[in-house]
Amino acid sequence: MNNLKKIVAALLAIGCAAGPLAVNAQELNAVEVSGDVKAVQTSVDESGNETTQLVDPGVIIPGGRLVFGTDYTNNSDESAENFVVTNPLPSAVRLAPNADPDLIVSVDGGETWGTLAALSVTTEDGIARSATHGDVTHVRWTLASIAPGESGRLEYPAIIR
Amino acid sequence: MDTHKLIKPLFASSVAAIFTISVPALAEGVSAGTLIENTATATYEDGEGPQTVDSNTVVVRVDELLDVTVTSLDGGPIGADPGEAVLTFEVTNQGNGPEAYELSVNPAIAGNDFDTIVVNIAVDTNGNGTYDPGVDEILTAPEATQVLEADEALTVFVIVTVPDGVVDGQASDIELTAEAVTGIGVPGTVFAGQGVDGGDAIVGPTGADGSAIGSLLVGITSVDLTKSVSVVDPFGGTSAVPGSIATFTIIATVGGSGSVDDLIVADAIPEGTAYADESITLDGADLTDASGDDAGEGSDATGISVDLGTVAGGTVHTVTFDVTID
Repeated sequence: MNNLKKIVAALLAIGCAAGPLAVNAQELNAVEVSGDVKAVQTSVDESGNETTQLVDPGVIIPGGRLVFGTDYTNNSDESAENFVVTNPLPSAVRLAPNADPDLIVSVDGGETWGTLAALSVTTEDGIARSATHGDVTHVRWTLASIAPGESGRLEYPAIIR
Repeated sequence: MDTHKLIKPLFASSVAAIFTISVPALAEGVSAGTLIENTATATYEDGEGPQTVDSNTVVVRVDELLDVTVTSLDGGPIGADPGEAVLTFEVTNQGNGPEAYELSVNPAIAGNDFDTIVVNIAVDTNGNGTYDPGVDEILTAPEATQVLEADEALTVFVIVTVPDGVVDGQASDIELTAEAVTGIGVPGTVFAGQGVDGGDAIVGPTGADGSAIGSLLVGITSVDLTKSVSVVDPFGGTSAVPGSIATFTIIATVGGSGSVDDLIVADAIPEGTAYADESITLDGADLTDASGDDAGEGSDATGISVDLGTVAGGTVHTVTFDVTID
């Protein structure tokens, strides 16, 4: 969890540096939603400590790690209630094992939802097994309310299949 | 900002989002050029009721991994003697995009008893796994394969000449190497813009090259035939007189570490004698004169022959037959 917080912090810094988000057809909406993708770069320093940082995607190859992020901002003067962000996973990626275990996911195309540990899938020969990160088809976040002017970021880590 | 809220999942209803992407399922990973597109959809309620908003779609393109393996398809050393020998290999594109490979052969491997001379590299054009001269395409310099799709394997033949003067039991290795035409290097080396659809090509774990060893073992075989005769005359002696029966014995000795195919021991009936019907034996067992029912056939006109078939080195067979002296 600490790692995730670090990643979030790093992303916020990047987001600030990037300046205002583009506004187009979405300006009619009180809440603005903006997606981005970063690559996870792992480097080892002289004393052998591994550090990871999020960088703009360069080389994209099978096995590479990505972080998909969604920034939201409530631009209106009223609160947005029951704010739900649904993100289908691109089929070329799987949810990374370091994803928050409390993340709400679906493994059946968005039909049913729960934490990964609570879900199962049925194999072709009819046997049910526990769902794995590779089975995840969607991730979802729910915020009870976003106050006017409030912004934040949601993200999930993925590995290119 | 409350970062705790960002990672705090809550249960709520949601909306279905639309997302489509077509990715071929490959064991080695998604294909080079595949677009990974991600869009999030948000729903919420404000003073005006339920609202839905899509994020922008972010797109990244999968780059091309350059990986290749080479394996020998020969089950073991190829038996060889001076002249042509063919070794069989398989080149497999382990990357995730189409790639051609330049092939090279090194016949001078440390430890060789002798070195072969490389004649040609050919590809298994008709896909039957066997080198067919005149059918299978012979590669010309630079000896590059056609473009192999991701996971595609190609059978490659290396035709070599075994020099004269080799001795039975000598061995020689040759090495076939395949290198990605785009380039090779330490894993992670990037060839910018040289991948599928203008993406990058990246050297994978194999270094974008691979090689395998094929082996030859000289199996020179020799066949020695030794013929002897013993005579029994009608009087119990060993004189060659009319009515004496002469028994010819032919000992076929196959030497060396290889084997010979279609070894047939044949002999004519000497003038002045008549073949004694049904007298052929092979290693002490009787054979018939008729053809086709066993290894032997015999007649006064055509003589005798015994088909020993394929005989391994180190084997001895004894054939006998009788004649009557006129």
